[in-house]
Amino acid sequence: MSSFVVKGLVLAGVLIVATLVVVKQMHIDLSDPVNMITFLGAIAIAVLSFGVAAKYMGQMKTDTATGELAEENWDGIGEYKNELPAGWAYSFLGTIIWAAWYWLAGYPLNAYSRIGEYNQEVKQYQQKFQEKWKNPSPETLKEMGESIFLVQCAPCHGETGDGLSGKAQDFTHRMSKEQVLAVLKGGQHQLKYPLGAMPPGLAQGKAAEEVAEYVANGLKGKAPAAWATCAGCHGQDGKGNGGSAPNLAEYDETLVQHVLKNGKTGIIGTMPSFVNRFTPVQEKALAAYLKTLKQ
Amino acid sequence: MFHWLEKNPFLFAVGVFVVIAFAGLIEILPNFAEASRPVKGLKPYTVLELAGKEVYKKDNCIACHSQLIRPFKAETDRYGRYSLSGEYAYDRPFLWGSKRTGPDLHRVGNYRTPEWHANHMWDPKSVVPASIMPAYKHQFTNIADIATAYAEAVTVKKVFHTPYGDDIQPGKAAYEKYYKEKVLPEALKIAKAMKNKDVLDMVKQGKVPEIVALIAYLERLK
Repeated sequence: MSSFVVKGLVLAGVLIVATLVVVKQMHIDLSDPVNMITFLGAIAIAVLSFGVAAKYMGQMKTDTATGELAEENWDGIGEYKNELPAGWAYSFLGTIIWAAWYWLAGYPLNAYSRIGEYNQEVKQYQQKFQEKWKNPSPETLKEMGESIFLVQCAPCHGETGDGLSGKAQDFTHRMSKEQVLAVLKGGQHQLKYPLGAMPPGLAQGKAAEEVAEYVANGLKGKAPAAWATCAGCHGQDGKGNGGSAPNLAEYDETLVQHVLKNGKTGIIGTMPSFVNRFTPVQEKALAAYLKTLKQ
Repeated sequence: MFHWLEKNPFLFAVGVFVVIAFAGLIEILPNFAEASRPVKGLKPYTVLELAGKEVYKKDNCIACHSQLIRPFKAETDRYGRYSLSGEYAYDRPFLWGSKRTGPDLHRVGNYRTPEWHANHMWDPKSVVPASIMPAYKHQFTNIADIATAYAEAVTVKKVFHTPYGDDIQPGKAAYEKYYKEKVLPEALKIAKAMKNKDVLDMVKQGKVPEIVALIAYLERLK
């Protein structure tokens, strides 16, 4: 056995031992398949590198060059007319053929498009999503709504939905007295409900105060006389006549949809529109979650 | 097989040139395509927004925030439409960033308000309890460098033909006129929306704090 092979084997052995020491020292769990594969790979690399190096170094010592010299030479340095290794030559030929195909057909006709893949990804996901959540249970809706709320709504409305002490709408209540008074005074047509704009000044003075008090208290107790004007559009129970006017009693699906679509500016501040950011199921989920925040 | 080529160094050099030049063209040509031009309707940054962009750079927002929404569903769900190269046409330099310790900001103007930014920069934990972002209270007292931003606008208008209006002209008189007629009203609008009395007072006195410029810039990111 040549001295190179012996030295190679010794070095490979040292590396394997070093690897084993590291495995032991770092308490790496070899029953984990990924760790085991990595470990075997490390040993294979050690053996192969030293084996291959030893083979060629041995060969360099004994090999002599033979063959027919090419006619031309460069400053006295000649070149043998050796045949190309067959594997290399065929691979090279293959790349030339592939390049021709790629230039003429592959790139211009079948180019990869990140946006195309994105569109496909979204389409497939939406299909799957809609199929899976065709009839979501109330529990699922609440959970889905909560996760959307925490990412998209909580930065302004707070993680508990309390509006961060007046910085945004407080979801534990429907409307405050000040909000009702402001709408009565200024009218409202931001949410674009089918019944159209609410004109300003529908109730004034004491009547407005009474109505505001009544709405802010969650429409409990006896309705004041001026409520009849409100009930014309918002319904006797204040629930918005099945979606034709905003629901004054609670956050329902239509209300969530209209606010997300149009955004809203009130006395607290401005909420930007979130149009096209959620699917109908997600909007439904948000409404379901908001209902759970009620005090 | 290729000995004939090796015997003709000049021809070989021409061949090498052609191959490399072709590869270069493939890289360069797409940049002249429609998709790489400014997107339709894109306006250059106003001077106040440019000053805000400088604050963004100065306070190193880019260290934790990116401005590049990649076309992945998970990203577009959270941040909005994916970014297009033409949207950065007037960014010199663009502030893509490479690290998201905080969220992406490329469309932050779509879903936050000046008031929210004001609360958040003063005390991030007051609006996002789990936030690890530091407070940037100095922005409420430091005065924004509007003059430098104006100089930048004048420069890019002249050098890159950025489509600014005729009101952006070299000279001190033009600057002072612009500051009074364009920058201050824009700043006043932001300051009012911030609902911060001290900031509003400063703007009314004709001074623009950094926070106002920064919020103008963030509101512009849509």
